[in-house]
Amino acid sequence: MGSRFAGLSYSASTFVAGLAILLGLWWFSTWALSLSPSTSQFASFGPGPAFKATWMMLENGHIQKAVWSSSYRLGAGLVIAIAVGVPIGILIGRSRRFRELSNSPFQLMRMISPLSWEPIAVIVFAGWDAAIIFLVAIAAVWPIMFATAAGLAKVDPSWFKVARNLGASPRQMVTEIIIPAIAFDVLTGIRLALGVAWMVLVPAEFLGVRSGLGYTIEDARESLEYDHLMAMLVVIGAMGYALDSACLTLIKRYSWHKQ
Amino acid sequence: MSATATNATNPRAAAQAAARSAVNWVVGMAIFLALWWLGGYFIGANPKTASFAGFGLIPTLEAFPALWQSGKLQAATLASGERLGAGMALAIAIGLPIGIIVGRSKFFRDLSNSGFQFVRMISPLSWTPIAVLVFSSWDGSIIFLVAIAAVWPVVFATAAGLAKVDPAWFKVARNLGANPVQMLNQIIMPAIAFDVFTGIRLALGVAWVVLVPAELLGVTSGLGYTIKDARETLSYDHLTAMVLTIGVIGYFLDSVCVGLIRRFSWHRGDA
Repeated sequence: MGSRFAGLSYSASTFVAGLAILLGLWWFSTWALSLSPSTSQFASFGPGPAFKATWMMLENGHIQKAVWSSSYRLGAGLVIAIAVGVPIGILIGRSRRFRELSNSPFQLMRMISPLSWEPIAVIVFAGWDAAIIFLVAIAAVWPIMFATAAGLAKVDPSWFKVARNLGASPRQMVTEIIIPAIAFDVLTGIRLALGVAWMVLVPAEFLGVRSGLGYTIEDARESLEYDHLMAMLVVIGAMGYALDSACLTLIKRYSWHKQ
Repeated sequence: MSATATNATNPRAAAQAAARSAVNWVVGMAIFLALWWLGGYFIGANPKTASFAGFGLIPTLEAFPALWQSGKLQAATLASGERLGAGMALAIAIGLPIGIIVGRSKFFRDLSNSGFQFVRMISPLSWTPIAVLVFSSWDGSIIFLVAIAAVWPVVFATAAGLAKVDPAWFKVARNLGANPVQMLNQIIMPAIAFDVFTGIRLALGVAWVVLVPAELLGVTSGLGYTIKDARETLSYDHLTAMVLTIGVIGYFLDSVCVGLIRRFSWHRGDA
């Protein structure tokens, strides 16, 4: 018990120390730049102005609105990616024919940089929100699909035999055997999907919308409010970190030792 | 997998497996192209969507000769390739040494972790306004964006590769009088090559995601710009042809990485 506490306080203190070092480097680089007259405008990029701007933007609700809009688009896109990717991944895992025939087109489509779909998405979907959700989904579906298929490949085939012997219906096969066995891999895929979705969301919000994290960055840039810009970078980093940590926690929760 | 084991010793089975996967590749593509053609047919047949017929398979394929002859395809590929290559080279040149330090020094690893994890999760394109201010040219800022996105997989894969290295090897090398340079060249690099190439493959995937949106603003060359240009001139067949080109190039680059990974893959006794 004592060593566990010691372990926790060590990792907590290195966590804090690491962020403090980052903050120090940030402060030092902008302070050094502010000394020279040719780069003095970068002083407003420093942590001091950024945190003041963060506080101000929290007070007038700008950050909350941006986080809410972006979360809605991210969430909707990920839900679609899971709803489409998990069943197809299970199909890939279970059917050799489907896996072999779908492999070449999927590998090609997977490597189309997601934002390349933007012009098509804008034409097909009525609103920009829907287009952004589509872009998030098309980027996120591939990691989920392939991680699900990989998870199924690890499942011991004898479990299916035993379940069939015990009279399991196809639905029970899915809910009692497949889903619990692949939960770990699916969650790992969701974590990867979140990473890609996070990269796609911000540029997707540069155009056409008037809300969200990407829009707020563009807005801050156009009005030359660099302290607001740096504040948004901090918010984006913090939010991304929180989402990724949430995935890691879920993965650990569903991690189980295979023989 | 027993199939692979037999293939290694049975050339006939290996040839059969290769033929089977080639047939699968062709049939899979054919089904995909047929579905695409069907979709394009319905888009063209419906008077409400007929102006978008350019998205269909046949118009898209017919756009390729025009794109090739006008040199647009080659110019876009070259411009994007230069930015991608420079960004990747930068990411590897920075990520590999940092990854080795992270792998070798617990002190550095523990202290740098939270900072790295935070900066890693800043969506790469968020750096665009800063990159544009810092770098004098748009090309420079695009290369920076590619590098800042691609460096993280390289760092973490290199560190992971080092974690797998048997510490006894370092002891043996030290006993045999290896200096730090030889330690790096003879022990570390061959051992971590597999993981580093896996990291480069992941980094390439990330760079590929970041490159196209980075080219949507401020430049007049490259794959991303060509897509935007095609949309603005309502040349939907050109647009889809460029989207397909992006997929093909991405697929090719990824296959090169997979080939390199296989080349440097080696069995560890305890793996």
